[in-house]
Amino acid sequence: MSQPSTIERLLSAMLRRPGGPERPRGSWRELGMPTFATADRQPEAVPMTVVRQPDGRLSQYPPPEKWDDWVEWDGKAWPQRVPRRYMLIPTVCFNCESACGLLAYVDRETLEIKKFEGNPVHPGSRGRNCAKGPATHNQTYDPERILYPLKRVGARGEGKWKRVSWDEALEDIAAHMRASRLQRRDGIVYHVGRPGEDGYTNRCILAWGVDGHNSHTNICSASARLGYALWGGFDRPSPDHAHARVILLISSHLETGHYFNPHAQRIIEGKMAGAKLITLDPRLSNTASMSDLWLPTWPGSETTVLLAIANYLLQNDLYDRDFMRRWVNWEETLAAIRDGQLEVNDPALRRELASLSFPPGDEAFGLFERALKSLYAEFTFARAAAEAQVPVERIRQAAEWIAQCDGKLAAHIWRAASIGNLGGWQVARALFFLNVLTGSVGTPGGTSGNEWNKFVPKPFATPPGPEAWNELHFPNEYPFAHYEMSFLLPHFLEEGRGRIDVYFTRVYNPMWINPDGFMWLKALRDETKIGLHVALTPTWNESAWFADYVLPMGHAGERHDLMSQETHAGQWLAFRQPVRRVALEKLGHKVRYTYEANPGEVWEENEFWIELSARMDPDGSLGIRCWFESPYRPGEIITVEEYYRWIFENSVPGLPEAAAAEGLTPLQYMRKYGVFEVKHTNYTPYEKPAPEGKGVLVDGERKVGFETPSGKLEFFSPTLYQWGWTEREYTIPWPLKSHVHPDFINREKGEMVLLPNFRLPTLIHTRSANAKWLYEISHKNPIWMHPNDAERIGVKTGDLVRVTTEIGYFVDTVWVTEGIKPGIIAMSHHLGRWRLHENLGVNPGMSSLARLEEEDGRFKLTYIHGARPWHSFDPDTERIWWEDVGVHQNLTHAVHPDPLSGAHCWLQKAVNVRKAEPGDRHGDVWVDTKRSMAVYRQWLALTRPADRYSPNGTRRPLWLKRPLKPTKAAYALPIRSGEEAVPGNGRQAVPAMPERQKP
Amino acid sequence: MNYGFVIDNRKCIGCHACSTACKSENEVPLGVYRTWVKYVETGAYPDVRRHFQVTRCNHCANPPCVRICPVTAMYQRADGIVEFDPRICIGCKACMQACPYDAIYIDPETHTAAKCHFCSHRIELGLEPACVVVCPEHAIIAGDMDDPESEISRVLAAHKVTVRKPEQGTAPKLFYIDGNDWALHPTATERAPATFMWADVIPLQAKPNGHAEALHPAPAVGPLYPGSVRTAHSGVAIRTPQVQGVPAGGPIHIGGGRMAEQMVQVAYNAQHKIPWHWPVPAYLVTKGVGAGLFLILGLAFALLGQPFHAPTAVVGGLTALIFIGLTTGLLVYDLERPERFLSILYRPQWRSWLTRGAFVLVGFSGIAGLWWLLETGTLMGLIPAGLSAALRLPLLGIGMVLAVGAAIYTAFLFGQAEGRDLWQSSLLPFHLLVQALMAGSAILFVIGLVFAWPPELLRLNRILFPIVLLVDLFVILVGEFGMPHATELAARAAHAISHGRYRRHFWQGSIGLGHLVPLLLLLVAGLLPPAAPWLSALAGLATLVGLSLFEYAFVMAPQELPNS
Repeated sequence: MSQPSTIERLLSAMLRRPGGPERPRGSWRELGMPTFATADRQPEAVPMTVVRQPDGRLSQYPPPEKWDDWVEWDGKAWPQRVPRRYMLIPTVCFNCESACGLLAYVDRETLEIKKFEGNPVHPGSRGRNCAKGPATHNQTYDPERILYPLKRVGARGEGKWKRVSWDEALEDIAAHMRASRLQRRDGIVYHVGRPGEDGYTNRCILAWGVDGHNSHTNICSASARLGYALWGGFDRPSPDHAHARVILLISSHLETGHYFNPHAQRIIEGKMAGAKLITLDPRLSNTASMSDLWLPTWPGSETTVLLAIANYLLQNDLYDRDFMRRWVNWEETLAAIRDGQLEVNDPALRRELASLSFPPGDEAFGLFERALKSLYAEFTFARAAAEAQVPVERIRQAAEWIAQCDGKLAAHIWRAASIGNLGGWQVARALFFLNVLTGSVGTPGGTSGNEWNKFVPKPFATPPGPEAWNELHFPNEYPFAHYEMSFLLPHFLEEGRGRIDVYFTRVYNPMWINPDGFMWLKALRDETKIGLHVALTPTWNESAWFADYVLPMGHAGERHDLMSQETHAGQWLAFRQPVRRVALEKLGHKVRYTYEANPGEVWEENEFWIELSARMDPDGSLGIRCWFESPYRPGEIITVEEYYRWIFENSVPGLPEAAAAEGLTPLQYMRKYGVFEVKHTNYTPYEKPAPEGKGVLVDGERKVGFETPSGKLEFFSPTLYQWGWTEREYTIPWPLKSHVHPDFINREKGEMVLLPNFRLPTLIHTRSANAKWLYEISHKNPIWMHPNDAERIGVKTGDLVRVTTEIGYFVDTVWVTEGIKPGIIAMSHHLGRWRLHENLGVNPGMSSLARLEEEDGRFKLTYIHGARPWHSFDPDTERIWWEDVGVHQNLTHAVHPDPLSGAHCWLQKAVNVRKAEPGDRHGDVWVDTKRSMAVYRQWLALTRPADRYSPNGTRRPLWLKRPLKPTKAAYALPIRSGEEAVPGNGRQAVPAMPERQKP
Repeated sequence: MNYGFVIDNRKCIGCHACSTACKSENEVPLGVYRTWVKYVETGAYPDVRRHFQVTRCNHCANPPCVRICPVTAMYQRADGIVEFDPRICIGCKACMQACPYDAIYIDPETHTAAKCHFCSHRIELGLEPACVVVCPEHAIIAGDMDDPESEISRVLAAHKVTVRKPEQGTAPKLFYIDGNDWALHPTATERAPATFMWADVIPLQAKPNGHAEALHPAPAVGPLYPGSVRTAHSGVAIRTPQVQGVPAGGPIHIGGGRMAEQMVQVAYNAQHKIPWHWPVPAYLVTKGVGAGLFLILGLAFALLGQPFHAPTAVVGGLTALIFIGLTTGLLVYDLERPERFLSILYRPQWRSWLTRGAFVLVGFSGIAGLWWLLETGTLMGLIPAGLSAALRLPLLGIGMVLAVGAAIYTAFLFGQAEGRDLWQSSLLPFHLLVQALMAGSAILFVIGLVFAWPPELLRLNRILFPIVLLVDLFVILVGEFGMPHATELAARAAHAISHGRYRRHFWQGSIGLGHLVPLLLLLVAGLLPPAAPWLSALAGLATLVGLSLFEYAFVMAPQELPNS
């Protein structure tokens, strides 16, 4: 800044007003944080590079050849010309699973990270980001960060901590792990919320030889995954929105979801090119609002609506006959009809099939078409409109558009109806049915399988699957659980089904995000259930409060990871980097561990896992150490750099050549660009020729096909039939009656449906509370309510309402809007953070201070006060202007495990929604955990356990995906005394045994 | 070079990436925004839409903020970018009053005005603004509109676009494709609801750096259809015509408490604090007292030939000077960077009436001060009587001209405040002059309690006071608030004063206490001569209190209306 005049300074002193912009800076140093060059640096003559294009266009980014030394003007000091020298280091965003590229601007003098922009060479995000990308800076410089490893002192949950060294933490945790591993192979659990990487940690778990992976997927995408898996083996869709003619969403991809920013770009691109956008959602999401057609369906009716569209295509012969004939398992389906496994109301058809020889020739395909037309004839537009309670014209319009899609139907379901409803996996199955009918499978503008567009490179050595089965994760009752029954963990522990020796939670806040959080609270604080709880987290959360160790892990610019996602019909591999470490190394400094370059002693998991695993098996006797020895230096422990160097040199096709062309090693190339495009486009890979003995025969040619038992797209699922789900509503795409079907919601009595699982474009799940710019935009979650409902119960916007669920109630304000279906109330998912201590726990500006009371299994949470300004080194914390930071509704949600997919069905029956009572205060939550267990048992009773239904004595169909697939032997159901079928009630030694015969 | 923005609402998904990228690039503190996304919900289920509107500085071709800035801290670059310099800004907040778009805020760190500056620090290097780079949809296009080959020129040539408030004559250079009328027009929606869809709503009247006085949403103005029905000559039942210029209930109602398009509500918006608080109305009063008292003395001594009375000159002159000093003090106090106030004088921007006014005030203080020094010096025998007598007439004459200037220049300053239509009144210069005479007259009676004015002066004031009170009453009731206002914003502000939140300030305060009570007291004083000094002083005091209440309402009400 220019020097103020004498009189100005005099007056400043008199008036006690600041003489210019100032930011307290000293405290950064005290905290071991990097500091920025002081703002009063004098302007200097620095050659500036102007990157205006020859044709006069402006540029988006500095060109990569300038990234190592880029000078630009300081935006804050402007119009004073203060030049700043940066190194631009690419990394990958960690704020959702999209893995968008980021470019960190690291100050060459102070090593402060000035900002995060997009990475222009990233094929998925293409240099653009959502609000969460730039907010990575908030997380990095979050005044509330945990900077050093903390160990609990006092009772668990008491909130007393002491700082320990990494060495101390590693030794202690490794000793616990070793002790557990010596006893058993399911005592160590890694429970991950946000993976943010592909395969690194899973490899470590495999190396430990345990069945120890747990995830959040069963409260998220598992249900939709099962629907896709049953069709084609892949478990997520990868729509090619940009080239679609019709984009059909049961999701809100213009604001959230995997993969929000990359998909939102391509959806709008497709729309601008003329595609029609159709969205099913009971709530007017931003996506629904941008759509050409909004279908505000009653929750659970989606399958019927989709099948009505399917029926329209079928009855009017508007489907892709040839594609169906080639790629659908119609022969198997006809056989099933012949054998009475699938009932079709066409006796003549069955007679004809009886005389047909199998396998039938192509001419029999007409019988399949006849069967389909007969099966789905009942799904009229009128029926769909009545069930969905939407205007029939809208459904017809959707059907007509889809009929004209010409193999270019890009469809996606993410969470939404699939994770909301009992039987939600059938919504995904019905949705993909439309892709199959229109032949939009893997085509340009169609929908691919996720694995086709995702590239996960192999590391230097991969340990085998565990010889064990963790029954707390995949219990007997849920042979089709697509992922671990994560959200039932506390209920299982409560029932005494087992215990955990070492429990890692990683970027995961199970008590907050899962339904029935007080059950989690009970489990987390009980040392007899969970032995050692290690929370790996960048920031405080409600569950870490109940940990034994809180270990600070890095944000997006502070760690190594590899990520690839199916953002479009191509493949890329992105490299997340600790940007200050990379900058230091480029400047010639030597860095042994990433925490040396990060704020405080914030580490990265990659190195942490290497060190921990090595210490778990110091002499190699457990067979663990060998997996962590360098491929370059035999016998010595690998470094994180060697780990990635090997992958880049050996596992990424084309990368070594691309690097060589620039005179770089593959690792240098990835350090420079942070991303590599493996395939530019990738369409219909199932049509590729397959070698003899592999793939599937189609029209006499051997093709790659699909990863199903038949190698084809499975309309009729023999697997489900064999495992006891024999009814038509399971074996083929068919509606299942949701737990919130209108028959179960008595609106006359004041019952409503609570839609609790929508996200805001500005939130990072439960991790937003460390991003001030995001919380400033979105910090509260009032209840959305239609004016008719509001009038009925006599409330208006801003009034308090008490919502009673099956197990308790909560109190929140109301937002009255026409943008919600009457009879439904909705609340955004990720707000309502709280802490128990005024000065420790979650960020005071983003959480409420709460009081927790407990009596005989009944819990009450009350807010003492909301968000408040607070003092820190960041002056912004004193500018917190909001108070309401939302209500923690999840605590009042009963668990609803879908008997098939195992996914939690998020929609809640609101037993009562009424104006708050006189004593009610905003944020009140009350829950009776006895009722929690009762509801859990009701849903458990819906299952068809493996020990009673398994056709071959295995715990689950072998071909279905499972994280960290154990050895085949471990799939065998345990032998029980007298071979009697007993519902799974505890862990038993699992001997390796041959597959048994069907009981 | 002529930089502008196009925002393509066909593509904007309301993700707020631009908002955070801007905060990151420009280190914008919490509580203020250079760019934000306004959400407006319209329609009735299931025909509902949520409209997103990226909202920010329009980089007007004819920027009122630049014109009003007294020190050239806000300026228009040759390439068309409207930029600001926090090193120069004195924090007078006039630019915030001039901007009809709520684009400018006071930075809580620098205490200076700030807004979108088109990332000109990036533009100079050939880089797009941060919001353009981050936008997932490329819904924001920035570029040179003079270059026919630029993307923005091609887009503008091929699409129908709209701007915010084109009628302001500011020529905004931020164009919307598919702009939505409800989102573009700030008063088309009701005021902020009790809460936004995912954010708290702060009370509008929050002080710039403090917490708010409780503020309830203004009551709806009235039903669409008046209750009273009359019968026309033809025998048909007809509606009574409504008040001109006061929109019924804000947005267009269609009955049942609902608006056209069924629901029109702001679901999210950046929230703005009121820039000017009590110091500004207080300054209007002190300025009126100072200028008015001097004018009355000048009238008496210079024009009406009343015999000169030295103690009157000393006491009256001193009082006027004290009030003008107070005026300057209040002006400086209200600056966010008061220590920089001198820069108005040493780096003036002559188009600004704040600058012109400052010089008028300085000139007036100088002349009046010189005159007062001469008269005081003479009275104390330090200066020869001949000198002050010789200079008396010229100094009083020039002083009176400057006093009139000091009294009325604020009208021109308010006229430059293009964001506050009520202030842009052509009656205002005259009104301020009348107010000044009224205030001067009032203070004269109040001082009369402790100082014996010459009887001639008192006689003059007894005639002048009721006249100016009546004229002011006429100006207020027939002029400012009797005439319909040409623009909706002015009409709404006037309505808030006469029938809304400030109705007590207006009716009880200004009209009652400020005019009727003094007139009554003067009448009684005429009938009860012994009590006259006390009654007149009381009348003067009532007038000053009433005037303060009027000025408060007049300054505050227009600032409460949303400009975004």
